[in-house]
Amino acid sequence: MAGISIKNLSKHFSSRDADVAAVSDLDLDIKDNQFVTLLGPSGCGKTTTLRLIAGYIRPDRGTIHVGNRLVSSPDMVVPPDARHMGMVFQNYAVWPHKTVFENVVFGLKVRKTPAAAARKKVEETLALVNLTGLGERYPSELSGGQQQRVALARSLVVEPEILLLDEPLSNLDAKLRERMRTELKVLQRRTGITFVYVTHDQSEALALSDMVAVIHGGKLQQYGTPFEVYAKPANRIVADFMGLVNLLPGTVITTQDGVATVQAAAWRLELPAPAGARAGDAVEVAIRPENIRLAAANGQAGLIAAKISERTFLGSISEYLAELESGPVLRVQTHPLQRFAVGDRVAVEVDASQCSVFRRDPEKTSSADGASR
Amino acid sequence: MTTVTMPAPAGFRRVPRLRLEHVIMAGAVVALVILVVLPLLFLLVGSVRGERGVSFEHFSEVLSGRLYTSALWNSLILGAWTGLFSLVIGLLLAWAVSRTDVPGKPLIRVTATLSYLSPPFLTAIAFVYLFSPNAGIINVILRDVAGLPWLTFNIFSMTGLVLVTVMHTFPFVFLLASSALQSVDASYEEAAQILGAGKLRTAASITLPLVAPAVLSGTLLAFVNAIALFGSQAIIGLPGRVVTLPTRIYALFDYPPEYGLASALSLVFVIITVAALYLQRAFLARRSYVTLAGKGARPQLMALGALRWVVFGFAVLVFIVSIVAPYSTLLAVSFSKSWGLEFWKNLTLANYKFILFEYNVTQRAILNSLMLAIVAASIAVLLGAVIGWIELRTRAPGRKLLDYASLVPLGLPGIVMAVALIQFWLAMPLALYGTLAILLLAYVGRYIPLGVRSANASLRQVDPSLEESAQILGASWTTTMREVTLPLIRPGLFAGWLLVFVPVIQELSASILLFSSSSITLAVAVFNLYETGYTEPVAALAMVNMVIIGVAIWLAYRVGGGGISGAGGREGTA
Repeated sequence: MAGISIKNLSKHFSSRDADVAAVSDLDLDIKDNQFVTLLGPSGCGKTTTLRLIAGYIRPDRGTIHVGNRLVSSPDMVVPPDARHMGMVFQNYAVWPHKTVFENVVFGLKVRKTPAAAARKKVEETLALVNLTGLGERYPSELSGGQQQRVALARSLVVEPEILLLDEPLSNLDAKLRERMRTELKVLQRRTGITFVYVTHDQSEALALSDMVAVIHGGKLQQYGTPFEVYAKPANRIVADFMGLVNLLPGTVITTQDGVATVQAAAWRLELPAPAGARAGDAVEVAIRPENIRLAAANGQAGLIAAKISERTFLGSISEYLAELESGPVLRVQTHPLQRFAVGDRVAVEVDASQCSVFRRDPEKTSSADGASR
Repeated sequence: MTTVTMPAPAGFRRVPRLRLEHVIMAGAVVALVILVVLPLLFLLVGSVRGERGVSFEHFSEVLSGRLYTSALWNSLILGAWTGLFSLVIGLLLAWAVSRTDVPGKPLIRVTATLSYLSPPFLTAIAFVYLFSPNAGIINVILRDVAGLPWLTFNIFSMTGLVLVTVMHTFPFVFLLASSALQSVDASYEEAAQILGAGKLRTAASITLPLVAPAVLSGTLLAFVNAIALFGSQAIIGLPGRVVTLPTRIYALFDYPPEYGLASALSLVFVIITVAALYLQRAFLARRSYVTLAGKGARPQLMALGALRWVVFGFAVLVFIVSIVAPYSTLLAVSFSKSWGLEFWKNLTLANYKFILFEYNVTQRAILNSLMLAIVAASIAVLLGAVIGWIELRTRAPGRKLLDYASLVPLGLPGIVMAVALIQFWLAMPLALYGTLAILLLAYVGRYIPLGVRSANASLRQVDPSLEESAQILGASWTTTMREVTLPLIRPGLFAGWLLVFVPVIQELSASILLFSSSSITLAVAVFNLYETGYTEPVAALAMVNMVIIGVAIWLAYRVGGGGISGAGGREGTA
């Protein structure tokens, strides 16, 4: 089987009016049998990365190895038809003029598998994706979810070492998406194929992956387990992209042994120091809404007070906007049974161990300051 | 190079550097160069070649000599009037069909389609039978039977030429305008109305600006096509001493042929056409926002009240003038022994017998045209498919240039194409002049844009991922083409085939300079018979021409339509 090793990969596209770096200096090590997600907003370069892996496009710089075989470099690209990979496209790309069976058997025919064996194999694969008995249908007679499974079966039947999936669930409705998500995960476990999965949906990435590569602006921002990228974001972009986050402006007071004491709003927090941080540096403290606790204010000393300015009931949770006395507004999520009214004064408590701290971009400092006041 | 010195690793095919697709693509490029680029270069060279080296004497002659400037002027007048009337008729009918409750909409659509497909020189001949000053049957009736000589109409005039030409060109405006009108999402208009704009104001401030680019573009197409028609300008214009650019160029090939002058005049002609087409593309590019409208487009229909019968009457009039009159005239003439007031007394099949079984020139012409049209249409479509594929699916350098080169013939009137081919092939050691081969080259070259466009349009419907998914399953380029791309674009290719076949079977403008007695074609035979005064057999041959076109459309509809409805039809049975 095969892992994928990407080194220093760059690709830019020139169009009439701009030269866009789609991917720049990307390094990624995808281990065999893993379910790896490339996550990022649209236009971040994740699909370009996937298409580079598939061999549809030639890199400007850098290399891609599958196992220890070089498959892509600026001088040489093994074409897609010789890569033994599978790919599931966002629009499924199920051939409308072929039946389900003809779609799925295509790869086996190309490989000159004897007819009887091919038929058996197709039937097994159709069973694997719960499409038994639909072989003679045309794609136009299938639902979106079923077409999705045809696309999957078509890729799986040739037993690829690597399966590339380009936002395969984005065209399905919410319920179906949930179900296909589970099925994909089970499928990956069962087949042991390396899955490289592209999505812009962070919850999908967290739910499915062994490893998540967060990509933004053509650059790899963080590569880690779902828990790591969510709870320990490497930078502000990752923190921002991986769900709701409060960003509090702050200042480093002291640093010692890799621990920085940061003053943010009325809190003094001890946090792991960002690389190269020194006393006086402007920083941002990222706190997720679910890691802030609210309590009824009873005048205790040491607690930070705030006023509830907005309440939203979301079913399984309640969300509040709490306006700190020093100015900043925090988004807070609580259990729905803990209830406050707009205008209530509350005590706000944050857990330093669940906060991350990033240095602020010097040139962006002024505008960020302006926004928070 | 990086092509490895190690043995190819297990599981990976060695990929040869030169694949079949490269050979095919290179072939298409070479074909395009021979068909279009080189002849044009020779046309250019021919126009500036003087007795000693480069000289602009031909151009100065063409731009100052009265013979040539009057032809230029006549062409522009013809184009302007034709464009104007095409705009009025086309837009009115398009608006009626897509936005009002006028009765008989299918009739209007059929009128436009048939007028578009009818060979314009046949319409011209039919109108000569009706309105030639002395023998035209309607004129005879008006003058001798009804005693109303002041009502007679002389077809051999600029007015007559415009009349005959408009019938062929108004569908350009109609087709573009009605598709634009239909694709304007009703919500745009509803949004204006809810803000308080009345129907008229909505039409003027919302609908009209949205469709104006399409309408103007249709008008320019009508202009370009009108001035390029050799047939009607020779049949109607020459007897009325209205000499235009195509007929003037044609006259330059009378012995001794004036190649230099013909080339220079051709280039002037090309400049006019290309300028108009450039404007047309610029207009069309601006209508992109209209085509964005989705399925929600359901235009409101305006209730015209009693006025709808007036509009309907106008549509019927157009139908009668452009379809009923010419076709019934040709039909009647083809069955009469002698065309005149009392033609119906002596009906006969002798004319058909003559052209089909007795006269070997017409027999040869029919066979030649059939063969040329089938081969030319097939080549144009296949070449178009390859060129379209290169442009849309590869990142080959110069692919845009290739696309432009394939569209160049749109700006070449048929007679100019012929002059260019003559210049080029006379300079080659290959004796092609006067053979079927040079006609084939002319047809493929002239109509390659239609092949490229239809292939292009169908390829755009096929998402690249459909090909890519075959590729990643291990399919080679040829397999992908055979199994995925070609089956998916087949209906579009058939439509393109028809689009080429129909004009080729009636091609006259280029053929008239390129034919020889052995390579005579249907349209040339009609023209020659007409010129030599075989009134009745001409009509019979014209009917044969029409029947071939009809059968081709029917066939292509059956076969090509089967490609789409085949997949759709299976839904029902499954």
